[in-house]
Amino acid sequence: MDGKLEMSLDKLPVKRLESIEENGFERFPTDIGYDEKQVSLIRRIDFGWAVEKEDEEKKQKKRQKKSSRESSSTTTPWPWKNMVENLHLAHQELSVIIDLINTVEANDAVTVAGMTRPKPLPNEILADLAVSTATKLQCYRNLGKYFKQSAKALEQQVAREARFYGALIRLQQNWKVKRQRVAAIAPGNEGFMIDLFDNSLYDSVAVFQPSSLSTIRIDHNSDGINPIRVKPMAHLRIHLKKPEKESLSDNECVKDTHLLLRKVHQTIFDEQVFEMVNRGAVNQSSGLNVTGIQENYVQLCIGPGISIYVSVVPSDQGDQAIDSEDPENLESAAVPSDSFDGVKLAEEKHNSLTKKTSFPNCITCEIYLKQIFHEYIFVEAKGRPFSTSTRMPGQPANDGSGLLSHFCLSLSHRIISNKVLMELENVVCRVPYLHLISHPTWHSRSSAWTIYMKIPPSILHASSQARTPDIQNMKNVKSEFWTKVMVRDDCINIEAEGAPNVVGLFKDSSDDICSTNKYDCNLDDLPVIILQQVASQVIRWLHEEALAVGIKANRDFLCLSFELEQGEILSLVAHVDPEDIQGCISWLLTMEDSFAEEKKLHMNIADGASEYRKFLGYLPLDVLYSTLMDLVSLCGGGSH
Amino acid sequence: MVRVETDIANIVDNFTHLVNAARINDTPVRNSQEACTMDMRASRMAQAADSLLKLVSELKQTAIFSGFASLNDHVDQRIGEFTQLAEKTDSLLARVGEEAAASLKELETHYYSSAQRTTQTLEP
Repeated sequence: MDGKLEMSLDKLPVKRLESIEENGFERFPTDIGYDEKQVSLIRRIDFGWAVEKEDEEKKQKKRQKKSSRESSSTTTPWPWKNMVENLHLAHQELSVIIDLINTVEANDAVTVAGMTRPKPLPNEILADLAVSTATKLQCYRNLGKYFKQSAKALEQQVAREARFYGALIRLQQNWKVKRQRVAAIAPGNEGFMIDLFDNSLYDSVAVFQPSSLSTIRIDHNSDGINPIRVKPMAHLRIHLKKPEKESLSDNECVKDTHLLLRKVHQTIFDEQVFEMVNRGAVNQSSGLNVTGIQENYVQLCIGPGISIYVSVVPSDQGDQAIDSEDPENLESAAVPSDSFDGVKLAEEKHNSLTKKTSFPNCITCEIYLKQIFHEYIFVEAKGRPFSTSTRMPGQPANDGSGLLSHFCLSLSHRIISNKVLMELENVVCRVPYLHLISHPTWHSRSSAWTIYMKIPPSILHASSQARTPDIQNMKNVKSEFWTKVMVRDDCINIEAEGAPNVVGLFKDSSDDICSTNKYDCNLDDLPVIILQQVASQVIRWLHEEALAVGIKANRDFLCLSFELEQGEILSLVAHVDPEDIQGCISWLLTMEDSFAEEKKLHMNIADGASEYRKFLGYLPLDVLYSTLMDLVSLCGGGSH
Repeated sequence: MVRVETDIANIVDNFTHLVNAARINDTPVRNSQEACTMDMRASRMAQAADSLLKLVSELKQTAIFSGFASLNDHVDQRIGEFTQLAEKTDSLLARVGEEAAASLKELETHYYSSAQRTTQTLEP
């Protein structure tokens, strides 16, 4: 108890003289009864100090309230302080009353007969009821707020999960979604991932290791969803994004995710292709000439001065969101390049120009490399039949080294075939009566062309008119001649008709046996050989025409000879020169005479031509035929 | 299903107690006690709702990762579609190749038959 402790002492139970009268009579105070004594003792307990204290505290509180109102911004009274103080006071009063009751009962001075609560007044009852009702109403209002907040949070969670699982189900239609079994998963994160690695390859081709990009984790954070990001050459994470300002719909979001996953899939494939190339290159049994190898590129020599390098190149975009239009991916590039060292400048320039036009497109090489690896590793590994259009008979072993060798051979073949085509076009363009026909083989290591010569119908008609009657029934003169050029890998093979059969020469009837020659040659000799072949075919045709008109003529490889009445031999000779820009096949007329010293052929000598030789020029077929007819008439034979 | 029934019964039971606690008692102590009880009942209701939501998530996950039949059917369907697409593409490529070969032959014939064909040179 606060305050001073006051004590009151009982007077001694001695009869004290109250008063003395004049007559000397002493008056003593009357004896107090027992009950009265107890009551007086009770009344001696003074509760006034508590009441006074309470009044003082109330005054202090009023003063504090006034001061707090004045300086409310600086002070922050504890809200439970009043209640605590009231409880303390109530506790004190109860303690005093209990002590009193115990004292009274202990002293047997007063016996508490009973305590009855004073009957509350109606207004007090209503007040208590109002307080209780208001309290309960407030409690229910708080509950209502709590329920609203919880409902809002649950609604958001329901919507978020609906979007997430809807997108996840749609992704699962095309991709392998796995549940991530991680012990410590953050609340709100279900732990899913997308596995892009093809497990079916593990059984047949145990050369692929899971790429770092093979597994992509899907995050579903509780605070929302984040943009899709791709980090090349690093572990990928996908966050399903809640669009800003609702600009992207769920469909677009899923579509973007599909696009991203497809690009990652392509990246993984590119990595696998490069890994196969690496393995094939370092395989000693492959026979490939590796001239350079690094972490992300391999250089191979495929021919004299020609090399290719295959590299894996990361994209330039780096970390960017997928909503940018440019894709972000790893690519493998197959680029044929020169590696000329110490070549002459002119040749280098010429050769560089030649090489530039003869090199295949890098993109086509890349596509072809990916296609053959995909076809023979992934498709065949899964046991599926591949398409007939891409079937390659005689294919090497379906492993990395065999396919890489095939790819290198295909590239070198493509370069050589381009050069062959260039040479053939040069030849055909300079000889007017030749046609070049391409024959697509649909094989990566073989190419074929035909150089075709057809005698014009006008000449054939004239020829038929000029024939003698007894020869009319003979078989017609051959009017079409062909020369086939085939390139297999780097071998050039020529197949043609027109050259006299060697055996027939011995039998002196070479024209009856028409042979088809077949032989190989190299690129440098190709133009000469083609021109010789064509010239021999022209000679053969002229020979047959001469025979058709009844003139006996002798045919050599590039020469058609007529014997004149005087014993002179008049020859029509073909001269081939691939470097001649005006025409590759020129014609000469020569005369051989056993009496050359006495009889000379009076011929115009022009431009240094010998007396026994006359340069006729680059004659077309009709002029050749006319020349033949002139020679025939000179020989004195035929219908002319 | 047991979890669903338990959670829903939990929600209904707690809501019933909340409604019953609206009665005003004479003793303030009783009212205070009921106030604390009401807070507890409300928390239990929210907890049961959250449990239901988690159950729904688990069911969705089960449907995603256990629906093998439908998934296999869909995968087979997609395989069939892509195989058809691959065959169509192959046939298209073959047709394109054939048409290109035919066009090349025709163009070569026309070119070499024309008088305008020029000599190919190596000039840049």
